[in-house]
Amino acid sequence: MALQFTLNGKTVEFSGEARTTLADCLRHHLGQTGTHVGCEHGVCGACTVIVDGEAVRSCLMLAVQAEGSHVTTVEGLSEGEDLSPLQAAFRKHHALQCGFCTPGILTTAHALLTHEPDADEERIRHVLSGNICRCTGYLPIIEAILDARAAYADGRRGKPA
Amino acid sequence: MIAQGHPRSIGKHVPRREDPYLLRGEGRFLDDIAEPKDTLFLSFAMSPHAHARILAIRTDAASALPGVVAVYTAEDMARFVKPIRTVIEIQGYRASSRMVLAQDEVRFVGEHVAVVVAEDPYIAQDAAELIEVDYEPLPAAVRLEEADSESAPLVHEDIPRNVMFEAAFASPDFQAAFESAEMIVSETFRTGRVAGVPLEPRGCLALLDHVADSLLFYTSTQIPHLARTALSEILDFPEPRIRVVTPEVGGGFGTKAQFYTEEVVTAALALNLRRPIKWVQDRREELLTSIHARDHIYRLEAAIDGEGRIKALRTDLTTNAGAYSSYPFGCTLEATGGARMIVGPYDIRNYAFHTRAIATHTCPSGAYRGVAQPSCFMAIEGLMDRIGRKLGIDPATVRQRNLIRSEQLPYTNVLGVRYDTGSYEECLRRALERVDYWNFRKRQAEARDDDEVLRGIGICCFTEVAGAGSGGWRVRGLTKVPGFDSASIKVEPTGKVTLLVSQAAAGQGHLTTFAQVLADYLGVKVEDVFVSEGDTATAPYGTNTFASRGAVAAGGAVIKAAQSLRQKIARIAAFLLDVDVERVELTESKAIDKENPEKSVDFRQVAQIAYSMTSVALPQGESFGLEVVEMYDPPLATWPNAVHAVVVAVDRRTAKVSIEKYVVVHDSGRLINPMIVDGQIHGGIVQGIGEALMEQIVYDEDGQMLNANLLDYLMPMALDVPQIDISHIETPSIDALGGFKGVGEGGVIGAVPAVTNAVADALARTGANINRLPLRPSYLLREMRRRQLAVDGDRK
Repeated sequence: MALQFTLNGKTVEFSGEARTTLADCLRHHLGQTGTHVGCEHGVCGACTVIVDGEAVRSCLMLAVQAEGSHVTTVEGLSEGEDLSPLQAAFRKHHALQCGFCTPGILTTAHALLTHEPDADEERIRHVLSGNICRCTGYLPIIEAILDARAAYADGRRGKPA
Repeated sequence: MIAQGHPRSIGKHVPRREDPYLLRGEGRFLDDIAEPKDTLFLSFAMSPHAHARILAIRTDAASALPGVVAVYTAEDMARFVKPIRTVIEIQGYRASSRMVLAQDEVRFVGEHVAVVVAEDPYIAQDAAELIEVDYEPLPAAVRLEEADSESAPLVHEDIPRNVMFEAAFASPDFQAAFESAEMIVSETFRTGRVAGVPLEPRGCLALLDHVADSLLFYTSTQIPHLARTALSEILDFPEPRIRVVTPEVGGGFGTKAQFYTEEVVTAALALNLRRPIKWVQDRREELLTSIHARDHIYRLEAAIDGEGRIKALRTDLTTNAGAYSSYPFGCTLEATGGARMIVGPYDIRNYAFHTRAIATHTCPSGAYRGVAQPSCFMAIEGLMDRIGRKLGIDPATVRQRNLIRSEQLPYTNVLGVRYDTGSYEECLRRALERVDYWNFRKRQAEARDDDEVLRGIGICCFTEVAGAGSGGWRVRGLTKVPGFDSASIKVEPTGKVTLLVSQAAAGQGHLTTFAQVLADYLGVKVEDVFVSEGDTATAPYGTNTFASRGAVAAGGAVIKAAQSLRQKIARIAAFLLDVDVERVELTESKAIDKENPEKSVDFRQVAQIAYSMTSVALPQGESFGLEVVEMYDPPLATWPNAVHAVVVAVDRRTAKVSIEKYVVVHDSGRLINPMIVDGQIHGGIVQGIGEALMEQIVYDEDGQMLNANLLDYLMPMALDVPQIDISHIETPSIDALGGFKGVGEGGVIGAVPAVTNAVADALARTGANINRLPLRPSYLLREMRRRQLAVDGDRK
């Protein structure tokens, strides 16, 4: 199997077994290990990546299904050393502890706020209810996402003001 | 005397150093480490039976699969691996031996019977499925209640009646006090079987350094030093040639404070095959084989006076040990902990317990956040409410009457354990105030029988055993848990500081907090300190990270090391400043002359001399370098305390529980980083809410786990979490250096009893007696209806 897709703005190629999940392709073939695998059955959300604008579970998607798509992972949320406003809000609110679930929560929140920069707390809780965090108790994550909304307003897509 | 710098960093919300790289996706967890090209991967064949005799294992088909390098069974492994035996030097304990692959007999579903080594993880899994095992199924002892009987199937032939551990205690005047009391209040509490479920499953990567003939072992653990010693002993391989490194650890919660059979297999096969070996488990394996906890039955009897004061308390505790004693804590941990901690913050002068750990054909139990305390406080706090109901006294008042009073501190409890400082009454007073307790009671009294929801309020007052030193572990007979921790400080030639601590964090923010502690005690800028831990090649030996010990044990070691090193820095600085050493103060990476603060030298200038990198010679009598290592042995334990108060609404029709108010007043002594402390409390509370309301590992009668996946093992999600009002009282420990008391477990310990009591209080008017976990709607509805049906039946 050989295929091409765009990963964080760059064209990448993969050739391997057809049964390779997108998560394993990203992590073990393309070396992008920021996306984590917590349950391998689509419940915990740690492996969430953004495919053509939608947050998806990369453990439930085969790599071949990404052919021709635009895929964004946590590595694509910021440039260089600087944290994006969403990432900075996570730091400010202590919205991560062990950090294992964090990449999937960041991509989930980024996809949400890109589409709905004015999402309210209830909406954020609903969308987050597909991600398990065992460390923080969620409240700081909700606060961080609420705090980051301004950076997504006016079509700024999470770029610094 | 050299004056100590003013606190500048301790107590501050210092942002975490761990965050930027984790947020950019650059954290290196075990499976993120790029393995060498020639790495082999493992997959285990697991027992589908809870109890069976292994008649034959056929590995031909698996071995024949292209890409498979080898398949091992117990027989093969026995040639180079010793069994794991958890030695606990305490009366009443019967050790079980465990081979890393099951030999002759399997004792729980998920126990490993064979392992495949293959070129690719997908192939390894394919091959594991091709292994054929002939089993002769045997009767299994699955539920604690069934295993604890004369007629139960034996888990180990040499452990009669499945009693792996049994202990008893009675204080001298217990019997007389118990018999002479006015009345007895008793209840049985059944807590649920749960698991820590760190989001990162376990895994390890074993690499050989052929030049040094040594083993580099990456493992997702909380106990790198203890794992290294265990590996050395079990593999009979020299400890100096083993280096254990913990990468980022994706949650631990005690689950990863155990040393596991897979770690032995991975290391053993790397040494045997002379190839790198990687093993990463999937979630099903994680739930089947990582330790479980809290499968307990508490039978309590309190002898009380007419005012609700406990004159004597008796605990009969039974815990489910699972099939083997886990390593290093063993099956005694929960049984001892639950029986000993239950007296908590109460002035109970007469106490007796009988406690046992029972072997069953289930996954071994072990140390999960809080150990037995969420369970034992659910029991004693449930009993407090029942004393109140029996006497018609408000349960908050019952607690006020039983709490240890401030003027009794330091207090030695009935088991001879010293509580140095605490704030039991003050925490309760403030929690009642913040939750608006007495007004809630007034409103509750006005509630009507036809209201759609039933509201209740629950309290939990507790102490938490934390930061235990060597004495604390010796009391429990543990032989592989030292109790001390260590810190190594190096002021480098450039004046920047390397701090190595004997810890291994799994999200607690150690790189930040220990820098804060060192900053204040060495007089160095926090940004000049670089903290490293989790690598046995660099970090000094210690007990590592569990049981709320990081701040107390390693924090104490940092302080001790700083105090020792600052003497030398001050002496060299005094020589440079040409003043008496008494006049030197270290602050902000400088040594200043206190009487003439304009005069100072910085740490770099001092270090240049210490490392002989300047034309100025080291003063006579001084040795080169600016390094020190110190071990710190904390007291028997430190004793954080807190009160949780919770208001719930239970829907009458659906029994759905909504948490409407959650108040915590917490005292863990001196706080290092309040932001991180609150994070620990938040996270623990949400785990506790999960344990109280939804989490449960379910085995069927044959010992099959029915919910070994995250769809069916319910944990709290973002929609389940209430706002949490946390406030702190800081009563520093006087027994532990720095005054820190530890904070890792209090959240979960307080949450389970407080939520349970709130639900029980809400349902009290229906006559339901809530005494078992989890409080799922099916259980609550059944209890509500049972009473209602009884009432209806009487009417007919």
